[in-house]
Amino acid sequence: MTFTVSASGLSLHYGGTRALDDVSLRLTAGVTGLLGPNGAGKTTLLRVLATAVPPDRGAFTVLGHDPGSARGRQEVRRRLGYLPQTPGFHPDFTAFEFVDYVAILKELTDRGARHREVRRVLEEVGLGDVRGRRIRKLSGGMRQRVALAAALVGDPGFLVLDEPTVGLDPEQRMRFRELIARAGEGRTVLLSTHQTEDVAMLCHRVLVMASGAVRFDGTPAELTARAEGRVWSSTERDPGAKAGWRTGTGSFRNVGEPPAGAELLEPTLEDGYLLTLDGTGAEVAA
Amino acid sequence: MTWHVDEEDLRGYARGELAPPALWSADAHLVACERCRGVLAEFGDAGALQAGWERLDAELDAPRPGRFEGLLVRLGVADHTARLLAATPVLRRSWLGAVVAVLVTTFLVAFSAGAADSPTLFLAFAPLLPLAGVALAYGPGLDPTYEMAVVSPTHGFRLLMIRTVAVLVVGLGLNGLATLALPDYGLRALAWLLPALALTVSGLALAPRLGPVAAPSVVGAVWVAVLFAANAAQTSAGDPLAPFTAAGQGVSAVLAGAGAGLLFLFRDRFDVFPRGAA
Repeated sequence: MTFTVSASGLSLHYGGTRALDDVSLRLTAGVTGLLGPNGAGKTTLLRVLATAVPPDRGAFTVLGHDPGSARGRQEVRRRLGYLPQTPGFHPDFTAFEFVDYVAILKELTDRGARHREVRRVLEEVGLGDVRGRRIRKLSGGMRQRVALAAALVGDPGFLVLDEPTVGLDPEQRMRFRELIARAGEGRTVLLSTHQTEDVAMLCHRVLVMASGAVRFDGTPAELTARAEGRVWSSTERDPGAKAGWRTGTGSFRNVGEPPAGAELLEPTLEDGYLLTLDGTGAEVAA
Repeated sequence: MTWHVDEEDLRGYARGELAPPALWSADAHLVACERCRGVLAEFGDAGALQAGWERLDAELDAPRPGRFEGLLVRLGVADHTARLLAATPVLRRSWLGAVVAVLVTTFLVAFSAGAADSPTLFLAFAPLLPLAGVALAYGPGLDPTYEMAVVSPTHGFRLLMIRTVAVLVVGLGLNGLATLALPDYGLRALAWLLPALALTVSGLALAPRLGPVAAPSVVGAVWVAVLFAANAAQTSAGDPLAPFTAAGQGVSAVLAGAGAGLLFLFRDRFDVFPRGAA
C-alpha cells in the first residue's frame, strides 16, 4: 500500500503544555477524518503535517518528501493544499484576485496558466459566477469556498482541511461535504472536524485525538462498533451512564455500560466517539 | 474595426507561441473582431483553438490591477511580484495616511516646541517609521493570509524581503520628503537614515526569536532609551545627540551590517510559524 503521509513519534510542547504526544499515523488516498474535543491537538497536528510548525521530536514524510530539510519542506509544500481553521483574507481583493494571490505563492508565475488555474478551481467550488465580487461582500459559506479554492490551486496531492464546516448552515455544510468528497477522489484529504456527521458521510477512516495523542485509528464502522451493546433507552436518565440525553421522543438515550435487561439501541458514530473519549481525560459531551 | 491582427501574429496565436504584449493585444482584439476570429479558425487546429479560447476567457476574467499594482507593473515589476506587494497590509491607503499623519505631527511638535533650530525630534522619530512599517508588513496576526503564506512553497524570507523593500521604499521616501522640508539643516537632516536601517534590520533579525511584534517593540524601546541616555550625557545644548554624530552614524552602519548578516544566516526561521504564535 502506498502511503501519502507517514509519521512516527511526533511530539510537540508549548511551554509546559503537551500539544502532541508521540503521534504516529499513515494516511492513504481518500478522506480521513480527525475527531477530538477542543484542545485535543488536532490543529497542532494539522499544522505540523502542513509544515507550518516543526515537531520537537519525531519525523514524517509527505508523498515521499521529508520536510526536515529546507528543500524537502519546499517539495512538500508544492504538493500541499491547506485550509486553516480561520482562513484570513485581504477583504479588498475579489475572489479571483485572492485565489490568484495564493496561486502566486504556490509558484504559478506564468500569468496565462495561473489565470486558467484560478478559473478552474473557482468553477470547481461553484464560485465561477461571483469571481469578480469583493471578498468582504461574500457570505461566510462563500468565503469558506474561496479558501477551499485557494487550497485546491495546483491540484495538490495532500489536502489539509481544519474544521471547514464550522459556522456553516446545514445547506452550506451539505454543499461543502460534496466538495470535500470530490476533492478526496484521487488525493489524500485530512479533515479535522467536530461534526461526527461529516466523518460518517465522508471518511473512509477516522482518527480520534485527545490530550495530544491518537486514541483511535480505524474505519468509521469500527468506531461505531465500539458502542455496540453500550447504548440503551430509558424513561429516566440512567445515573450509571457515561452520557445521556433526552431525545425528541421523550425517552433518554444513554451511553456507557447498560444495566441488565436494558433496551439496547443501534449505536451511531457519535456514540463510539463519546465512549472513546471516556477515560482520556477529555470532557464527554452529554 | 480600423485594424486587424497581422496574419503572422494570428498564426503564432493559433500555435500558442505569440508572446506578450502582442498576445494581450490579440486577445483584446479577437473578442470584438469576427473577421480575425474567422481567419484564426482557418489557421489553428481545433484543440489549439479551444485552448486559445480558454486562455482568452481566463484573460477576460482576470482582474484589472489596482492603481498601486498597475503602477508597479508599469515600473517594470513582474505582475506576480506586484500582486504580492499589493497584498502588503502596510501599503494600504489607511496605513499610509496614518504614516503621513505621524510625520506631520512630528513636524508640528518639533516646531511648536521652539526646536526649529534643531532637527533632533525629527531625527528621533524618523527611524521608527520604517521599523514599524516593516514590522507590520508580514507576520502572524498582521498579515491575514500569513498561515496560508507560510505553508506555501514561496520561501518566507523571500516574501519578507519583497515586502520589506517595498515598505522601506515608501517609508524612506516619506522620510526623505520630510527631510527636503528641512533645507536649513543641510546634511544633518539625513542623520536618521543609518539609524533607520540599523533599527529595521535589527528588528527583523530578532523577530524569529522574540516574535514579530515584540522584536520591533524592543528595538524601538532600546532606541528611545539610547536617545534619553544621549540627551542626559549631552554637554552642550547645541551639540547633536550621540547617535547623530559621525561616531554614532558609524555604530549604526556597523549594526545595520551585522544585523543584515544575522538575518541572512537565520533566514530559514522565517519559513515556519514563530514558536510563540503557533
